[in-house]
Amino acid sequence: MWQVYFKELTELMRDKKTLIFVILLPIFIFPVIFGVMGLVLSSTTSKAMQEEHRYVIINAEQAPEFSDAMFYHKNFKQVKTDKTSEADLVAAIRNDEFDVAIIIPADFSAKRQVAEQVQWQIIYNQSSQFDFMYRYFTEMLASYNEQLQRETLNQLNVDPQKLAAIIKPVDVQKVDTADKRENIGEKFGAVIAYILVPLCLLGASYPAIDMGAGEKERGTLETLLICPISRISIVLGKFLTVLTTGLVGALITVGSFGIWGAIIGSFAGMAVVQEAMSAIAITELILIFSLLLPISAVFAALLLAISIYARTFKEAQNYISPLSILIFLPLVAAMMPGVELNSKTALVPVMNVALAIKELIKGTADYMMLALIFGSTLLLAAAAIGFCVHWFQQEKVLFR
Amino acid sequence: MINIQELAKAFALGKNNKLSDTEKQDVRYSKDAFHSVRNVSFNCGSGEVLGLLGPNGAGKTTTLRMLSTALKPDSGTVLLNGVDVLRQPVKARQQIGFLSADTGLYGKLTAYENVAYFGRLHGMDEKALKLRIDELFSLLNMHDFANRRADNMSTGMKQKTAIARAVVHSPKVVILDEPTTGLDIMTVQTVLDFIKSLKAAGTPVIFSTHHLDEVASLCDRVVVIDKGVSAFSGDIAQFKALSADGDLREAFLSVLHGGADTPQQGVA
Repeated sequence: MWQVYFKELTELMRDKKTLIFVILLPIFIFPVIFGVMGLVLSSTTSKAMQEEHRYVIINAEQAPEFSDAMFYHKNFKQVKTDKTSEADLVAAIRNDEFDVAIIIPADFSAKRQVAEQVQWQIIYNQSSQFDFMYRYFTEMLASYNEQLQRETLNQLNVDPQKLAAIIKPVDVQKVDTADKRENIGEKFGAVIAYILVPLCLLGASYPAIDMGAGEKERGTLETLLICPISRISIVLGKFLTVLTTGLVGALITVGSFGIWGAIIGSFAGMAVVQEAMSAIAITELILIFSLLLPISAVFAALLLAISIYARTFKEAQNYISPLSILIFLPLVAAMMPGVELNSKTALVPVMNVALAIKELIKGTADYMMLALIFGSTLLLAAAAIGFCVHWFQQEKVLFR
Repeated sequence: MINIQELAKAFALGKNNKLSDTEKQDVRYSKDAFHSVRNVSFNCGSGEVLGLLGPNGAGKTTTLRMLSTALKPDSGTVLLNGVDVLRQPVKARQQIGFLSADTGLYGKLTAYENVAYFGRLHGMDEKALKLRIDELFSLLNMHDFANRRADNMSTGMKQKTAIARAVVHSPKVVILDEPTTGLDIMTVQTVLDFIKSLKAAGTPVIFSTHHLDEVASLCDRVVVIDKGVSAFSGDIAQFKALSADGDLREAFLSVLHGGADTPQQGVA
């Protein structure tokens, strides 16, 4: 078995595709993702924040303070128009004559005098990803509203000091019992599992295909089968190699994620994330790895079984694609709001590992539950390896 | 000594498999199976070279795969130096040196590593393995490319490496499936010389081939397989006698066309 294992590892280490998928891709995927996404996001956000919006106000004389505020805002530029109806203004915006139109009713001042609520209209294209224009508008409107409220209360001879209590009689202060780590774990724990678990599969896929279908295609399998070693030894040797590459890929990914996350996070001011990550003890990292071990074994055995069945490399790739989708489904389910680790979800393969990783990152893991997940996944792995060994002894599979 | 008696092997056909008109006429096809080998019997003694002949798809490779333990026969017996291949496959494998029709090398391993890997799988210790590899590499003129990866080798280099790998454990029986196909003249000569050296060492050698000149120069015995049956089995003189002037091509065709007056049908 070890002869097969070391020989397979030697071959894999000399294979450029393996090096790319198992080592280089996990090392460089995160800086690329962080870097490119950060660059694109910051440049588009900055551009959107600085953008100047052309506007018109209908009946501006009804709210001169507000009109002045808009006029002096650096992100707004007033343009002239003779259009006044909603339909004409919509058409003008579509024709790119201006970006936004605010309609103040013609009787706004009169209604204000009798303390009647008035509805304004703002017309603009809301399909933009960054709606900074509306944010600036609501900020100005809030300030204008507060000014009007004070004026109204003055007219009613109400003490302006009591303004806050009148406008908002009850205020709530939230006291969060979750620490930073728990908060971040809840938000990002499932995402980390969503990255780690598929990488165990991805890292194992290419070697598995090469060791089954690849051997058939090259004609080396037949020679191997007539060596005086048991088929179990051959399968286990290959299985351990696939498992090793899957786990190495996942470990490199975790390392790369942590290191590059810290480097890039320090530039982007993500101190909270760094603080939370540093709160995760080495024991919990080992537990995460321990949970990845049996699920990677399940993947390795399934991939090898598929690969042994396939006649060619390409056929194996075709069979493995649906397996990837099957694995993503429980992972997506684990990310759904309200899905939590309990005695039922602890028995759903893949989903249980994802939920457990989330709990471990949050620091709220139930160790009995982890033992249940580890045990059940280990049983599944044993069954998958058993099937793989059985499969490897079938002539109809080996010589299709 | 190799003794094969009434060997048969069938492969199940797919449920949706529809037989063509030609296949319906072929005796090897039944409703749900393809009887690749129906009845093959022959012997090969120590120091004998047996040439396995037959048209493409006749059942030669399936027969050799059953001899090598890669496939399990449906019926019949295979004895290799008294070891029953069916009952003691692992013990039988220790005695077999098998070269498949594909060179079957690991591309990322060097010639040395390819041969050494199989030596280790046969349980050889490192010292004996090193000596044996050195001996084989000298015999097959392989020292120049010992450290070259199989991916970067010529066809001839690959075939020499495959042969060295097949015999690294000094097998008592050697089975070669078309060992000279696609090789240049120099490499063919090296391979043929190597088979002669095995013969001289008393090792029984079975090799399948389409080259009748190789049969003429090497073989003591000839077996012709046609449609899964050993249509002829006898010594080279008996085979030559099937044609008027000892022409092997004519002899071969006469067996296939059913006109052969085979001295011993089945076991020779």
